[in-house]
Amino acid sequence: MEKGELQCKFGILSRPDGSVMLSEGNTTVIAGIYGPVEVKMQKVLIEKAAVECHYRPKSGLPGVEDRFYESIIRNICETALAASMFPRSAISVVIQEMQNSGELISCAINAACLACLDSGIDMKCMFAAVSCFLGENNQLSLVPPVNRKEIKATFVFVFDNICGKIIASHTDGKFSESLYEEALYICMNESKNIFSFFKKSLFEREEKGKKK
Amino acid sequence: MAVEYKTLHPQKYYNYYLANNIRPDGREFDKYRPIVLNVNSVETADGSAICKIGQTTVICGIKAEFCRPKAETPNEGFIVPNLELPPLCSPKFKPGPPSDQAQVLSQLIADIIKNSNCVDLKDLCLHPDKLAWCLFIDFICLDFDGAIIDACIIALMGALKTVTLPTVDYDAALDNKLVNIEERHPLKIYSTPVSTTYIIFDDKYILTDPTVEEENLCSGLVTIVLNADEVCCVHKPGGTALNEGQLFDCIQKSKKRSKYINELIVSAVKALN
Amino acid sequence: MTIDHKRINGPEETIPYELFQKLNTKSLTTQFNECSKDGIRKDKRKTDEHRKIFITTGVVSQAKGSSYIELGNTKVIVSVFDPREIPNRTDYSLKGEIDCEFKFAPFSCPKRKLQQQDSEEKHYSAIMKQALESAVCRHEFPNFQVDIYALVLHNGGSALSAAIIAAGLALSHAGVPMYDLITSVTLGLQNGEKLVDLTLEEETLCLSPIADSKSHGIVVLSLLSTHEQVSQFFQTGNLTLEDVVECTHLLTKACKDIVPLIQKTLAKHVVKNVKESI
Repeated sequence: MEKGELQCKFGILSRPDGSVMLSEGNTTVIAGIYGPVEVKMQKVLIEKAAVECHYRPKSGLPGVEDRFYESIIRNICETALAASMFPRSAISVVIQEMQNSGELISCAINAACLACLDSGIDMKCMFAAVSCFLGENNQLSLVPPVNRKEIKATFVFVFDNICGKIIASHTDGKFSESLYEEALYICMNESKNIFSFFKKSLFEREEKGKKK
Repeated sequence: MAVEYKTLHPQKYYNYYLANNIRPDGREFDKYRPIVLNVNSVETADGSAICKIGQTTVICGIKAEFCRPKAETPNEGFIVPNLELPPLCSPKFKPGPPSDQAQVLSQLIADIIKNSNCVDLKDLCLHPDKLAWCLFIDFICLDFDGAIIDACIIALMGALKTVTLPTVDYDAALDNKLVNIEERHPLKIYSTPVSTTYIIFDDKYILTDPTVEEENLCSGLVTIVLNADEVCCVHKPGGTALNEGQLFDCIQKSKKRSKYINELIVSAVKALN
Repeated sequence: MTIDHKRINGPEETIPYELFQKLNTKSLTTQFNECSKDGIRKDKRKTDEHRKIFITTGVVSQAKGSSYIELGNTKVIVSVFDPREIPNRTDYSLKGEIDCEFKFAPFSCPKRKLQQQDSEEKHYSAIMKQALESAVCRHEFPNFQVDIYALVLHNGGSALSAAIIAAGLALSHAGVPMYDLITSVTLGLQNGEKLVDLTLEEETLCLSPIADSKSHGIVVLSLLSTHEQVSQFFQTGNLTLEDVVECTHLLTKACKDIVPLIQKTLAKHVVKNVKESI
């Protein structure tokens, strides 16, 4: 039941305002964030910054499915970022998939959160995503089975760190209501570990910065 | 006066109503708009349906074509759903390739079709590795007034249940196909997913079956798709955070609606025969 | 097939199943005779008789003006939006512009249409624009453009005419100033016969030449009926001069036949509006 190990490295890209490489188990993504930057005329919002997200798959051009993930990540970032601090500007989050072994969406969302933290853009709350998998034996697990065909359903939940409420939920596959509930509580517990990982990583980043 | 106030302070205008437990269109928070479903209205399609929820209108047409199965799945056909949000349905949309919103909704519909197993792709195979059906499911929004995904899924099920495919004599050795257009058989449908959309308004009110005005002002959106007793999608793409109680509450509410819509689709299809 | 990154793509190659049905071996002449014999057509209409028409306004709540028309099986929905500034235009234009987009729904024709506009649809859009331009008082909205979107939900023949009638009605529903009501009818010639308001089957038959017939083809005429002004005339196929004249007469009459129906629909809309405002 132990979740795959979390590892992250801040500031791996020099151009963006914040960047991070995050791996959860065998899934790895790189996230970069630019903001607040100039915004295209069509996208200008007068009362807040326009949050945009670009998701890049491992190979090829992004398709409709990637656009779907983009919209989820964008919505979550918009909820968490204090976008109203920067009216008439844009905050752009770029996610590059490196390796996917099942928990790609949650890893991408977590990376987006860390990148936001790294950039220093004001946020209303932190957010953490947890994936949960329903295996063939109707057992819920936080680790994706090696054989993808065994997955009967996937749950992804995103929580905020202040009230522990659910910011986003995305599911794949069919399941009963009680299983959904069970998965939700498992993920909710796990999210605490992720938040403490975020905090730990940030402290380590500070330490390193001081040494330099 | 009310009209001017509404244009100037839409959020406040809504809050006044909602504080009195009623929505500006006269509905209570958990009331739905009336639904109209018309099936098999387009003869050139192999199956079709128009669904109207309040003013929201979606037409769904299914056309089948021959294709070769993928090498990885030699005994499966294809389902290709696409939603168009043409400029015809709302001044919000401009001509050109599908907007991000249309793409996201297309993907959500594709996920729902896949998750609910309403059609078995194996039924679409005519001869392993040689010949299969590809169902092009095209949705076109004719009037964009909120809860578009709910209308799409109802139209989808209405259309799927009226799909008839012609019988095919296939000679695998010679790759000869002979289609008997008159002799048609329906497609087997295994389940009926029903989607219900909720919005979170002003971080505290949860409204069912939103209109486009409400959707534009809302702070979060939840779509729940139920398939008989099972859940096949709980889609909350960000927005205001909910606690688990509120989320479960939405699932409970959707159950009743799911039953009602199921009956509606069955009776619409029955009226056809 | 090229991969469209903004849509869900199917397999690379798909073939419509209609191609593999038993071939119709009858000659075109016999096929046409089956369609129209002694002045009576397959659907028991006379050669100059319209199909049943249903027309209504206000079907799209989000649009400024909208209408829906059924000519027999043909179903077309049209919506018109508020005038907006002409995009990418720096100089001042005295007359407003009309922008038409004609589109067949992917499932509306026997063969599946792609979502992008093909050349036929672009051509029809241009014809629609031509037909409507002379009906609208374009000097009333200089430097602005009115967008008209027509979507054919089911093509049962004469889709272009249906779209023009519906667009004319949608424009008046939207309150765009117009000189006159516009109506349009499709006529087909084949084997010496002239058929008004074609079905899809008749359309295909009229388009292919039969050896011993002098004229064949399709004529679409749009008319501003009060002064019998032709706003647009579109023809494909091969016609003799006498036939052109005769077609025009037939079509003028046919176009006028529809006018009372349009007037009634508009009157209904006005009455409804007045009642609501009281």
